[in-house]
Amino acid sequence: MKTFDYTVKDELGIHARPAGLLVKQIAGVRSNVTIAVKAKGTSADAKRLMAVMKMAVKQGDVVTVTIDGEDEDTIAPQIEQFFKDNF
Amino acid sequence: MIKYTINMQQKRRGSEKVGIFSKLFKDNADILTSPAAGRTIDISEVPDPTFAEGILGQGIAIIPSGDTVYSPCDGTIDLMFDTGHAVNLISDKGAEILIHIGLETVSLKGRHFRTFMNTGDKVKKGEKLIEFDRQAIADEGFNTVIPVVICNSDAYDDIRPETGKDVMPGDPIITLKEPK
Repeated sequence: MKTFDYTVKDELGIHARPAGLLVKQIAGVRSNVTIAVKAKGTSADAKRLMAVMKMAVKQGDVVTVTIDGEDEDTIAPQIEQFFKDNF
Repeated sequence: MIKYTINMQQKRRGSEKVGIFSKLFKDNADILTSPAAGRTIDISEVPDPTFAEGILGQGIAIIPSGDTVYSPCDGTIDLMFDTGHAVNLISDKGAEILIHIGLETVSLKGRHFRTFMNTGDKVKKGEKLIEFDRQAIADEGFNTVIPVVICNSDAYDDIRPETGKDVMPGDPIITLKEPK
């Protein structure tokens, strides 16, 4: 299992479009990917678009991303880079 | 990709047959009605790749002629965006629906939108969800087209939008056919 924390910089947070981009990015990943905002007690399967949108992640939220599965070693750095590039 | 190609072919057959197909599928289909008055267009015509390229799912879009968004189905508000520019619903038959009012309108941060329902509310088809000031949004330079996206498109064998029609709220605009 791999995990990293990321603090959202985008002033609009993870709304519809960024949520869609995230889900598309990890759609083909074998690992289970979950995102959580521990301070709010929310979490979601990052492959489920509506669940990701429902978290309504805001600027300044610390998102904990967990990648668990056979391809986690290769996928985790890619997902972390995606967060840095997009959120 | 295969699914998309089929849809394109069906579209070329002409819209007059769509209604017949909708009737044939009635038994195990979820038929969503228009959330707004206006004209339906193919979602690929929406000038925003997030919608046009299907990143959020398949669907349809409405060029609105009114200022109110109504529920397209009996269901539950899964998320009323606090900015009021979008709403997610789950129909009682399981369709996950995003209604997004205008393009890039998240940046209005709630201006020109007024919500009438909250996250978690049960709604009936045709109930008022959101009012928006179409002219004010347009005056600020935003496209007011309303994409209606099926976020769990993969759950369906066939998603059939009724494009190129003038619609009133409550008119059927998209048929979702589940696998048998």
